[in-house]
Amino acid sequence: MNRRRFLAGASTCAAVSVPTLVRAAESFRLGLTPVFLDNDAVVIERLRSALSEAMGEPVDLIQRRTYQEITATILDGSVDAAWICGYPFLQHRDSLSLLGVPVWRGRPLYQSYLIVREDDEAEGLEDLRGDVHAFSDPDSNSGYLVTASDLARMGATPERFFSRSLFTYGHRNVVRAVAGGLTRSGSVDGYVWETLANVEPSLTAGTRVVTRSEWLGFPPFAARADRASERTVRRFGEALRGLDATPAGREALQLLFLDRIEEGDTSLFDGIAVRMAELSGR
Amino acid sequence: MLMRVGTWPITIRIAVATAVLMVLLGLVASQQVLSTLGRLQDARLQEYARLHVEGLAVALGPFVLHKDVWEVYDTLDRARANASGERTLFTVVADERGRVLAATDPLRAPVDESIEAFADEAVPVSEVTAANGDSVVRVTAPLSVQGRDVGQIVTELDVSDLVAQRRNAALALLAGNAAATMILVLAGYFVMARMLKPVELLAHHMGEAGDAPHPIPEAAIPRSDSVLSRLLRNFNDMAGAIDARTEADRRLAERERFVSLGRLSSSLAHEINNPLGGLLNATDTIRTYADRPDVVRQSADLLDRGLRHLRDVSRAILEENRIDRSGRLLSKSDFEDLRLLFEPETTRRGQHLEWKIDGANDVIQNLPSAPVRQIALNLLLNASSAAPDGGAVSLSIREENDRLELAVSDDGPGLSEAARARLMSEAPVDPGGGVGLRLVRDLVTGLGGGVACHRSEGRTQITVSLPRREARPC
Repeated sequence: MNRRRFLAGASTCAAVSVPTLVRAAESFRLGLTPVFLDNDAVVIERLRSALSEAMGEPVDLIQRRTYQEITATILDGSVDAAWICGYPFLQHRDSLSLLGVPVWRGRPLYQSYLIVREDDEAEGLEDLRGDVHAFSDPDSNSGYLVTASDLARMGATPERFFSRSLFTYGHRNVVRAVAGGLTRSGSVDGYVWETLANVEPSLTAGTRVVTRSEWLGFPPFAARADRASERTVRRFGEALRGLDATPAGREALQLLFLDRIEEGDTSLFDGIAVRMAELSGR
Repeated sequence: MLMRVGTWPITIRIAVATAVLMVLLGLVASQQVLSTLGRLQDARLQEYARLHVEGLAVALGPFVLHKDVWEVYDTLDRARANASGERTLFTVVADERGRVLAATDPLRAPVDESIEAFADEAVPVSEVTAANGDSVVRVTAPLSVQGRDVGQIVTELDVSDLVAQRRNAALALLAGNAAATMILVLAGYFVMARMLKPVELLAHHMGEAGDAPHPIPEAAIPRSDSVLSRLLRNFNDMAGAIDARTEADRRLAERERFVSLGRLSSSLAHEINNPLGGLLNATDTIRTYADRPDVVRQSADLLDRGLRHLRDVSRAILEENRIDRSGRLLSKSDFEDLRLLFEPETTRRGQHLEWKIDGANDVIQNLPSAPVRQIALNLLLNASSAAPDGGAVSLSIREENDRLELAVSDDGPGLSEAARARLMSEAPVDPGGGVGLRLVRDLVTGLGGGVACHRSEGRTQITVSLPRREARPC
């Protein structure tokens, strides 16, 4: 199994990578963002077949370029469930219901990394003032909220603090932007960075982690709250949480470098909620 | 130091000319090849640049319009990673104000910097060329979306392979042309040497050292080339004609000597005849007065003087016929002989002869007797026939240091133009006239001397100056 292909490829094709034309009535549609799951046909196919097998019915994986788009699809019912980030989950807390939280390295938690080029001498966020910064997505916790709220604590905003900030719509793209020298620094998902360090070490070797955030709730799987009690949604939640019980599921989890998916609790995202409050209260 | 080119052997000159022409031809041909190669390379390069820039322009247009730094970078980065060749080294894209949006190497062209530094040396796609010898060229093109300029793209292309190709082609042409020139020059030399062999043969037989042309042996005449063999045979004919002419001249000169004597024959006949009457009278006297011893003795004396005179005259005539074959040196007695031969002629015509021999040496300047006698006799005969009856003819011999000055003068009307040409120049002799004066000139030239002609106060004086000869054992 070529795990390197897990995150390889170009994120710009993400929006069209999984066919959505097959809309069989019985298909369960799961929305994905490329923010941490870049379009890799093998990974997606394994995940899809594992979920289909576990559910006993076909599962379609539907990708969009941004968090906003995928959040919109779940809210308008275009997809039945989605793997989203804790930040939009909390933004739409009232409309969404938690289906499961991935467990990474034994905990349903991850960090946000502030990274710079490998030869950059910055020691903290303050040292990056006036330079170009790469965010992942405006609706990403690790790829935006953490740094933005850190700046809010400093009484600054990204627009004023950095000479220019840009969104790459992909954590791997943040690493590429920083390693390639396009931006001096970037905000990136710690889970993605660590995974890249395993499968594509030449890319992360060009970057250095300056600061790590506190441990925050891992991006969860969610469904619209008003549909949470539907049989298919409940069965999907069970299939998710039981992935580690089947060989296909374990293989898919292994490709994703995840241990399992547990039920989780919304309190996992309290840290994110605190940062959201800091950002909106500035 | 080099000899003048005109003195080089013709085979060398032709080989050098071939070399020069080959070098010129090589230069022109090489220039053509290199220029064609350059045009092909540039066309290829421009095609590549156009495709590259156009492809990027299509992909980047919307992103540049929205100033989407990441998408511009992402597109450039993927284009670079996917590029099959290594020709594209660097690409930078700027917005419509010339500020960098992204570059394949952001460290070289950071975001928001001015693109000026890169655009300065960049040329439009249609003008890109590898002819400048630089291994990297920059191309610029505008980025437009729906006819609106939204930015600019500058790309650095690696053309070191094209430059190297051009250089290698130039070196190969140089080496090839040098080899071809060498081969052709050598071949040209041998072919020319072979073709010009008959000409050299001709030049050799023409008398390179100044001697007379001599015929080319029949065996040496090439049979393969009819034109050249005809030329060489014609030359042989000419050389034969010259030999025949020389021989004819020689015989004519030989005859001239007898002609001189012939011209004297009438006078000499008188010289012999005149005393004969006196001698016959003396014999009659002896017969008549045989008993008178004093008369007999007187008549015998008269007979003796007359016979001695006749003996001297006949000896002088014999000597004139004989002397050309003797190796005798010129002496005063030669001039006494001449006077004996010549004086009766002046006497016959009532001319006054002045005879002036200076110097006491018996042997005169080691000069040979025969040619000098011939010179003097011819000039004297010429002067006597030019002078009127009762006119004056003179001979003067003077020794000056190491020269003999021989002057003959007369009071005739002077030398005619034709006679002067015979005496004073080498111009061909018109047929019909005698060869006496030309013989004089040839003899004087043969002795290394010179002839001068003066006319003053009604007298014509021809002066011959002969240099002294070194004594030679006989």
